[in-house]
Amino acid sequence: MSEIEIEIDGNLVKAKQGDSIIKIADREGIEVPRFCYHKKLSVAANCRMCLVDVEGAPKAQPACSTPVANGMKVHTKNDKAKFAQKAVMEFLLINHPLDCPICDQGGECELQDVAMEYGSDVSKFNEGKRIVPDKGIGALIQTDMTRCIHCTRCVRFGAEVAGIVEMGGTGRGEGVKIEPFLTEGIQSELSGNMIDVCPVGALTSKPFRYEARTWQMNAVPSVARHDLVGSNIITQSYRGKVKRVVARDNDSINETWISDRDRFSYEGLSHESRALKPKVKIDGEWQEVEWQEALDFTIDGIKNNAKNPEQLGVLASKYSSLEEYFLMQKLARSFGSDNIDFRIDQSDLSDGGSLESSITLSEIESIDHALIVGSYTRLEQPMINHRIRKAVLNGASVNTINSKQFDFNFNTELDLLSAPQKILSTLHAILKSLHLKIGTDVPKYLSKVIPDDVHNKIADDLIASKNGVIVLGEHLNSNPSSSAITNLIFQIAQITDLKIANLMLSGNSHAAERVGFMPTKNGMNAISMFNENTRVFMLMDVDCDYDFINLQSAADCFNNEDVFVVSMSSFENESLHTNANVILPMASYYEASGTHINFDGLVQSFSASVKSPGDSKPGWKIIKVLADLLELEGFDYINSTQVKDEALQSSKLKSSFDDVNAEIDDSQITTHWQYAPYATDSVSRRAKALQESNIGMINSAFVSKSTAKRLDINGDDLYLGVPVSITDAVAEDYVFVHTNQARRVEGG
Amino acid sequence: MNEVCFKNLGKENPASFTTYEANGGYQVWRKILKGELTPDEIIVELKTSGLRGRGGAGFPTGLKWSFMPRNQEVQKYVVCNSDEGEPGTCHDRDILRYNPHSVIEGMAIAGFVMNATVGYNYIRGEFMEPYYRFEEALKDAYKAGLLGKTLQGSPISFDLYTHLGAGAYICGEETALLESLEGKKGQPRFKPPFPANVGLFGKPTTINNTETFASVPEILSRGGQWFADLGVENSGGTKCFSVTGSVKHPANFEVPMGTPFSKLLELAGGLKEGRTLKAVIPGGSSTPVLTAETAMNMTMDYDSIANAGSMLGAGSVIVMDDTTCMVKTLARLAHFYYDESCGQCTPCREGTGWLYRMLQRILDGNGKKEDLDLLLSVSEKIEGNTICALGDAAAAPVVSFINNFRDEFEYYIKNGKSIIEGEHNLIEEATSV
Amino acid sequence: MISNEAKKEIDIWVSKYPKGRESSAVMQALTIVQKENSGILNSDLIYAVADYLKMPAISVQEVATFYENYNHKPVGKHVVRFCHNISCMLNGSDDLISYLENKLEVKTGEVTKDGLVSVRKVECLGACVGGPMCQIGDQYYENLTTDKLDKILEELK
Ligand SMILES: Cc1cc2nc3c(=O)[nH]c(=O)nc-3n(C[C@H](O)[C@H](O)[C@H](O)COP(=O)(O)O)c2cc1C
Ligand code: SF4
Ligand code: FES
Repeated sequence: MSEIEIEIDGNLVKAKQGDSIIKIADREGIEVPRFCYHKKLSVAANCRMCLVDVEGAPKAQPACSTPVANGMKVHTKNDKAKFAQKAVMEFLLINHPLDCPICDQGGECELQDVAMEYGSDVSKFNEGKRIVPDKGIGALIQTDMTRCIHCTRCVRFGAEVAGIVEMGGTGRGEGVKIEPFLTEGIQSELSGNMIDVCPVGALTSKPFRYEARTWQMNAVPSVARHDLVGSNIITQSYRGKVKRVVARDNDSINETWISDRDRFSYEGLSHESRALKPKVKIDGEWQEVEWQEALDFTIDGIKNNAKNPEQLGVLASKYSSLEEYFLMQKLARSFGSDNIDFRIDQSDLSDGGSLESSITLSEIESIDHALIVGSYTRLEQPMINHRIRKAVLNGASVNTINSKQFDFNFNTELDLLSAPQKILSTLHAILKSLHLKIGTDVPKYLSKVIPDDVHNKIADDLIASKNGVIVLGEHLNSNPSSSAITNLIFQIAQITDLKIANLMLSGNSHAAERVGFMPTKNGMNAISMFNENTRVFMLMDVDCDYDFINLQSAADCFNNEDVFVVSMSSFENESLHTNANVILPMASYYEASGTHINFDGLVQSFSASVKSPGDSKPGWKIIKVLADLLELEGFDYINSTQVKDEALQSSKLKSSFDDVNAEIDDSQITTHWQYAPYATDSVSRRAKALQESNIGMINSAFVSKSTAKRLDINGDDLYLGVPVSITDAVAEDYVFVHTNQARRVEGG
Repeated sequence: MNEVCFKNLGKENPASFTTYEANGGYQVWRKILKGELTPDEIIVELKTSGLRGRGGAGFPTGLKWSFMPRNQEVQKYVVCNSDEGEPGTCHDRDILRYNPHSVIEGMAIAGFVMNATVGYNYIRGEFMEPYYRFEEALKDAYKAGLLGKTLQGSPISFDLYTHLGAGAYICGEETALLESLEGKKGQPRFKPPFPANVGLFGKPTTINNTETFASVPEILSRGGQWFADLGVENSGGTKCFSVTGSVKHPANFEVPMGTPFSKLLELAGGLKEGRTLKAVIPGGSSTPVLTAETAMNMTMDYDSIANAGSMLGAGSVIVMDDTTCMVKTLARLAHFYYDESCGQCTPCREGTGWLYRMLQRILDGNGKKEDLDLLLSVSEKIEGNTICALGDAAAAPVVSFINNFRDEFEYYIKNGKSIIEGEHNLIEEATSV
Repeated sequence: MISNEAKKEIDIWVSKYPKGRESSAVMQALTIVQKENSGILNSDLIYAVADYLKMPAISVQEVATFYENYNHKPVGKHVVRFCHNISCMLNGSDDLISYLENKLEVKTGEVTKDGLVSVRKVECLGACVGGPMCQIGDQYYENLTTDKLDKILEELK
C-alpha cells in the first residue's frame, strides 16, 4: 500500500493508506483515549471515546475506525476533540458504580485512568444508576456486570480469538447485557484473556478476588512453563506469595495472550501439600529433619545402595528448568551413571531422541495446510493451536488423524478416526499413496498396503500444500509404536517437502533434550531403568501417582527393600511417602530462577518472583550441594547464570532413526490415558480454580458402542475409575481416557 | 395529487397486477428486458428527475446508484427499506398495500442498473397485511415472467424476496437493516466501509426507501424532466406526506414538492373544531418542531423546510394544537428513542435514558430549574458523537421543543403540572379515566 | 421441540438466502416457534432454533432479546399492542389504553385472569393516519373509540 503523509496534532507523520488514525497515533506515541479498540481485535467503534477532530469533517470522528487519507489533519486534543471525549466520558460514568475502593480493577482500570484525565469533577446525573444482575461465567472469571461499559472486547475476544461464541450482548438500548447464554461457564482454554481485555472491573480474576490491591504487589517478568511456547508473563506477588499472573506482550511468542493454565496454575503453589521441610524415612516412619541431616542421609543412602555407579537412575518431569536438568545429568554422569531420562510418560523410547520441528511459531500462522496427528492441540498447546486457527481463518485447511473426534475451534476438513494401534498402518497407507501419486519407488514393506479414498485425499492435500505442516501431538507418547510413527511422518514430510511441528513433548522438554537429559547408547532409559540393576533413584519433580506411563513397574521397583529413592519435590503425597526414602523440598515455579527453551529454540531466562516457602530450596542448589557431598568435581557454581552458561555450551543430542517397521497386533482393544490439560504438572494439578473450571473437570472414558459391548461396559460404569461415555466420535477397539485423575493400571 | 406512487389509488383493485399493467406498469421493465434502455440512460434520467431518497436523508438517488461498482464480478444486492417506523410516518405502508408492483418494478430496474441479480424487501414485522399484498404481487410478477432468471430471453435475472422484521425502529437505519437481514441484532455498522462496497453478506449493496423505488418506474416512463417539473428547485417531483395529529382528517397525501404547508393542512380538513395551531413537526419525530407561525410560512420541500429550521425527513407532518402539552409530548418522544436505541454506542445508549428520565421526572412534578439547561447540554453531547443518526434524532426534538416552547417547560417545572388544563402524566402509569 | 410444519415453514425462509446464510432466517424462525408455543420463547426453543439453523445459542438469544416482537414472559392468547406514540397520543390513545386496562382489569404488561388477553403499550406501528390504533395478531385496528374497542374485545375468543 502506498505511503502517505498526515498531520496529527501538528506533527507531520508518514502513514499507510487505509490505516486507522489510532494506529498511527499509537505508533507516534500520541495518546488517544479508547475503550473498545484493542489492537488484536476487530474494530467496533462503539465506545466513542476515541473521537478526534478531523479537519473538514463536521462531526468528531472515531480514531479507531477512521482510515487516514493523504493530507488529513487530525487534532486529538483541540476543543472539539476534548468536548466529544469529555461528553463520552460523562455518559460512561453516569451508570458506572462508584465502587473503585472495593473493585479489583482499582489502580489498573482504564476507565479510572481516562476519567482522571477527561472526566468532569461533578456529575450532573441525578437519576438512579443501573444495576445489572450477574449470571456468572465459571470458576476462573469473576463477573460484576454493573461495571460493564459495553465495549464488547470480551465478546469479540471470544468470537475472534478463542473461537467460542458464548458471550454476547442481549437486550437493547440501556438494557443491553453482556452475558453468556446459559450459566455453564465459559468453555475455553484461553478464557482468562477476557480479564485482560476488559478495560474495567466487570471481568476480573476470580482466584485473585480481594487478595491484594494492584499497587501493593510486586511485579516480576517471567516465563510460563506449561507448554512449548514459553509465554511471557508477569507474576504479581504480595507478601511473598504469587497472587496473580498476567500476560506480557511478545508478538513472536504469545502475542498478548496466555493460556488459562499459564494464568491460573500459580494457585497450586500455596497448596497445603507443599513440601516445606526435609524429611527422611527411618524404619518406615517419616521424620522432619534439618537440611544437613537430610543431605547426609541422602548421601549415605546413595553410597550404600548403589554398589556401582550404574545402579543410579535419574528421572525428572518435563517441567524442570534448564539449569536443573543440566546439573542433574551432570551429577549422574560425574557419578558414573548414564541412566537419565525425563520421558517418563512415553511408551516407546526406541528412537533415542525426538523428531526436530522445522517451523517456527510465527510461521505456523501462515501455513496453507496442516495434518494433525495424535493431538487435541487446542487443549495441549493452546497458543500453538491459536496460530493454527489464525491460519485456518486465513484459508488454510486442516486434516486430522486422531483416535477421537475433538472440538477444535477451527474447521477441520477431514477427521480420520484411528485407534492408536492402527495409526501406523494408516500412515503406511498414506505414505504408499504419496509414493504412487508422486511416482517414487514404493518401498518393499509397503507392497501389501492398499490406500483407500481417505488416505488418498490426505495424500492429495499434502501434495497440494505449498507450505503446510504435519503436527505430531502428545497422544502419540503413549503409543507403543511412536518411534515408528515419527519415523514415518518424517518420511512423509520429506517426500512432500512439508514442515514438521513436533508437539509430543511439552513443558520444558526442549531444555531437557538440549542438555542431554537422556541416556546415550549405554545408559538405561525411563522404561528400561525399572529393573533389579537400579538400586538408587533420584526423582526430580516426579509424582509417582501421575507421571509414569508404566506406574506398576515403577512402583514395584521403588518399593523394593534395597532400593533407595531420593525425591526432590515441591509437594508431598501418599505415593511419595510410600515410594521415597527421603524428600528434599524444592522450590517450584516462580520461586527459583531458571531457563525455558521454547518451540523455536528460544532461550528465555527468568528470575525468581518470590522466595520458596518453608525450608524448600531451588533445585539447582540442592543438586549442587549433593554433588559436593558426593565429592564430584566441577560443581563450583555461585549462581544459576553460571549453570545456564555452561548448560548452553553443551551440544544437543541428534535424533537418529532406524528404519523401523514395527508389527503390532491391532485386534487388541487399547486404552489411551490422556491427561486433561490441568492435570499435566504438579502445580496445575493443585490449582483450585483451574480444577473447578470446565476444562479442569474433564474426566471421561470415551468408547464406541461396539467396543463397549466387547468390553461389557455401559454408560453408568466406571472404566479404570473413570466414568464411561459411549459415543460415535471415537475409534473402534479403543478406549480414550481423558481425565484429571491419577493414572490407573489396567486391571488394577 | 397522487400522480406517482399513489397513482392507482381509487381504482378498482389498485394493488393487482392487472390494474398496474393497465395503467402503464412494467413498461419500463419490459423495455429493459428487450434491451431498449441502458443503465447509463436510466441514471441520467434519474439525475434529471431530481429524485432524492425518500427515507429521510434525501440523498440523490441517481447519484447513489452510480456509486455501485456495477462491473465488478461479485454478487450485488438491491435492498428496499420498508421498515417504516418513524413516528408519524405511514405512507410506505400504503404504497405496499396499494401499489406493490411499483416497488417491485423499481427494484428490478435498480437491479439492472447496478447489475445486481438479487433483491430483498425488508418489511417491518408488524406490517402483515402489506406483507401479504407484496407477496401476492411477487407471485404475480414471477408468474408473468417479470422476475426470475434470464427473463424473457434476455440475459437479465432478478430474484426478489421479502424479509420480515420483528420490531425494532433502528432497523430502518440502512446498515442496521443489513445486519438484521443477516439474522443479527439490528445494530448499525460504522462507515466506512459504505454498503456500496461492503453491504449485505459483505457484498456491494444499494438500499433505498420504498417510496424511492416506487417512484422510479413512473419517472422513467414519463421522463426525468416531467418529474422534476412537478416539484421545485432541488426538490423534484411529488412526495407522500402523512398528515397526523390534531387535524380533522389525518391521511396520506401525495402532493408536488413545494406545496405550501397551509394547503396540506387544508387537505387534511384543517384543525379540529375550535382549535388553533400551536406547533408542527414537518418530517417525522426525528426532525425539529416548528412553531405555528414558522410552519404556516413554509412550503413542503427540502429547502424551504430547512430554512424554517427543520427537515423534510420522511414526510411525516405532525400537527399540534393549543391543547397539546409540549412537555408530555416531548417526554413521549424521548421515551421512544430511549426504548429504540440499539444500545451499541455510549452517547446514545446512556444519553437517551438520561434525557427520558429527566423528562419523566419533570412530568412527575419533580423537575428542577437546572433541568432544562441540562437537557440541552446532554442533547448537545449526544449529537454528532454516535455511530448512526438515531442519536441526533433523539437530540433534535429535545433541543427544538425546549428552545421553541421554553415557557411551557418552565411553567411545568415551577408548578409541577402542565400549563394545559387537565393534562396529566400517562407515560408509565395508566391513571384511571 | 420444533414441529415438522414449523420446520417446513422455516425452510421456506431459509431458501431465500444464499447458501451458508441460513441464519438470516432466524427472526422468522423465532416468530414461527413462538407462535407454536403460546406466544412465548424459552431457552429450549432458543437452543432448538440455534441447532436447526446451526448458530451459536447466544447469537439466537441476542436476536430474541433485541426485537420487540418476541416474548419471554407469558402473554394472553391475544396480545393487544396499543400504540402510544405521538400521532396516536395526540388523538387520545392514552385514554383508550386506560379504558382498556380498566375494562380488562389488567395493567399493561399483564394477562387477564382467563389468560385470553394481554395489553402492551408499543411504539409507533406505522399506521399514524389511523390513530389511535392497535394491533392484535396480524390485524391492525384503526381510528379506535371506546365503542370500537368494546366490539373488538367481544370478538376475541
Ligand atoms: C434511526 C433511523 C431510522 C431510519 N428509518 C428509516 C425507515 O424506516 N425507512 C427508510 O426508508 N429509511 C429510514 N432511515 C434512513 C435510511 O438509513 C436510509 O437513509 C434510507 O433507507 C436510504 O434510502 P433513500 O436514499 O431512498 O432514502 C432511517 C435512518 C435512521 C438513522
Ligand atoms: S446511535 Fe444509538 S441506535 Fe445508533 S448505533 Fe449508537 S446506540 Fe445504536
Ligand atoms: S476506541 Fe474508537 S470508538 Fe471505542
